[in-house]
Amino acid sequence: MDYLFVESVDEALKAAQSPGVAFLAGGTNLVPDVLFGRKKPDLAVDISRLKELRFIEEHDGRIRIGSLATLTDLLESDVVRTHALPLHECAAEFAGPLVRNRATVGGNLLDASPAADLAPPLLALDGRAELVSLEGKRSLSLDEFFLDYRKTAIRTGELLTAVSVRSLEKEDCSGYCKLQLRRAMAISIVSVALFLRIRGGRCTDVGIGMGAAAPVPYRSVGAENCLRGEIIGKEEILNSANAAREDAKPIDDVRASGAYRRRMCGVLLRRLLQNALNTSTGNLSA
Amino acid sequence: MSEHRIKLKVNGEAESATVQGHTTLLRALRSMGHLDVKSSCEAGDCGACAVFLDGEPVNSCLMFAAQANGCEIITVRGIGTEESLHPIQRQIVEKGGVQCGFCTPGIVVSAKALLDKNPNPSRQEIRRELAGNLCRCTGYQKIFDAIEAAAEEIRQ
Repeated sequence: MDYLFVESVDEALKAAQSPGVAFLAGGTNLVPDVLFGRKKPDLAVDISRLKELRFIEEHDGRIRIGSLATLTDLLESDVVRTHALPLHECAAEFAGPLVRNRATVGGNLLDASPAADLAPPLLALDGRAELVSLEGKRSLSLDEFFLDYRKTAIRTGELLTAVSVRSLEKEDCSGYCKLQLRRAMAISIVSVALFLRIRGGRCTDVGIGMGAAAPVPYRSVGAENCLRGEIIGKEEILNSANAAREDAKPIDDVRASGAYRRRMCGVLLRRLLQNALNTSTGNLSA
Repeated sequence: MSEHRIKLKVNGEAESATVQGHTTLLRALRSMGHLDVKSSCEAGDCGACAVFLDGEPVNSCLMFAAQANGCEIITVRGIGTEESLHPIQRQIVEKGGVQCGFCTPGIVVSAKALLDKNPNPSRQEIRRELAGNLCRCTGYQKIFDAIEAAAEEIRQ
């Protein structure tokens, strides 16, 4: 494998014109993949020191996060903790400190595991992906970004430069729960992220992101539709949990059976909704 | 296949090496003679290979060596030596936190990173910051005792 260090986005794009090129950021996925022969790029283009892609900023009701922001950056960010709590809670459960110091937001999304930890909170918070190529820029909603198992909408020669999410207001509710077999350093069995806006007693907006419950991370639209516009009570919560179970397409694997995962989609969402609505500020995870 | 000449500082000494594009930092450091950096899972799961890279503790198995060009690395030997042990090292031996010793270098790196940031960590905080370091021998409790004792010693 060849290795090339680049000092600008432009240099990175010029070097990445063929399908055999992999961008190298934190390396927490790519390096062991190469070592164990799971990936065989001809060239690794090292973008890890492109400072212009490592930022977290809030502007106009949205939080923009550079693709090279590390998980530690996310965890230590006051902006994220205050205005995108599910993302903070997700970062706290992500791998361990040594990995978090190198793993990046972009890398987690582009590795495109169905269990990609960052995807559910980003989806629940109306996440968007910003991509750049020699032809120009484009952005798309994250729910159009995950196409199929380990396949994203990124094209050869494109660089993911940032993601953005809505910035939560003080009265908004949220939640996050990662079901895992250990308390750290574990791939999720199922993970759920919730955003809930209640105004005048009624749900005016909702986002429910699901991880490890299908070939791709996804928004549980069925579950969201049970809540949007409703005055949420016990019945709406149970309906939403049922819909979350129906939306899931989980598999059996070493960590859990598909049936268990499906059931947990409902259980976790129910808990998050109950927690969110039981407190006046509403920002608790299960 | 590309070859790269890299220059780095290891434990304060300027060093250089020729590595291939796919050589990991862990394997490069060990081939340069830094056998105090341990190779175990090589997948970022166990933390045995942890070193400081420009002040941050990382798994050296999760980087290509070429990425460390121009960087400053501190290994466990840079934290303390037999002639001059760091309190974390002395306490981990005294408190029985070392059996086979293979996880110990990585544990010392993570513990040092913790105490540098948080001189008075709770037991829970110690457990969380050491989450990336596995030990098959000790059951962890004496390691955590040692870190608490080292923290107290450093605070005095």
